[in-house]
Amino acid sequence: METDTGSQNTHRKPKAFDQKNWISENLNYKKDSGNWAWIFHRITGIALIAYLFLHIYSLSPLTEGEVAFNNKMATFSSPIYMAIEWFLFAFVIFHSLNGIRIVLVDWADGAKYHRHLYRLSWIVGIILFLAMGAIMFSHELKNLF
Amino acid sequence: MYKYRVSKNSGAGSWVVQRITGLALVVFMIGHYILMHYQPESGHTYEAVLARMQFSWYRIIDLSFLVLGMYHGLNGVWNIFRDYKMRPWARISVLSGIILFGLAFVAWGFVIIFSIPYLS
Repeated sequence: METDTGSQNTHRKPKAFDQKNWISENLNYKKDSGNWAWIFHRITGIALIAYLFLHIYSLSPLTEGEVAFNNKMATFSSPIYMAIEWFLFAFVIFHSLNGIRIVLVDWADGAKYHRHLYRLSWIVGIILFLAMGAIMFSHELKNLF
Repeated sequence: MYKYRVSKNSGAGSWVVQRITGLALVVFMIGHYILMHYQPESGHTYEAVLARMQFSWYRIIDLSFLVLGMYHGLNGVWNIFRDYKMRPWARISVLSGIILFGLAFVAWGFVIIFSIPYLS
């Protein structure tokens, strides 16, 4: 049987996965855009489902009528909550744009241009994020200038 | 005959549904953001909510959004669990926990929406 020698040996045996240090193994592998997209899609997805539960809970004062609901909403119109909502929008927009990217990869030959799509989703996402900030804080921005 | 029992469910059906619900949620989400946040008052005062909820189709849209979002989100969570090897009892506990949690919160959403009175 012949053995691989020198320059022909392009396929190195992959390092075995170290189960005991699974956290560092997951943090340290070399990541391409698709790996990052997968990681961010998971993080934003978990955050969004958690927010959906929170959203139902925070709207529950609707059952108690006008005063209870308006009191609850008053807390959410403070600048801190508005900033949190702005970042919530960032999570929504990443998950949406990357979700569209996933659908294109699966159904529209997107595997050929998935890196461009990933970059595009960041560019579009950041533009939409800034636009949303301008809309949300238009009152504050007017006072500033 | 077979050494290992293999699930007959390939997951292909839920894969398609996850994509379709995802695309639908993007559409719903755009509408949600325009309606709720273009003017801060429209999403954040009881008066505005009450006015909207006089239209039954609006309640239907809201609840479809809730059901779709909950399904897509919890199916996503279940997909994360499916990436890991689980013992049968763990699988069953996690899946039934996810389903019960989802049903409870969807039910709560229905209670909230239908608690808003119709002014006739």
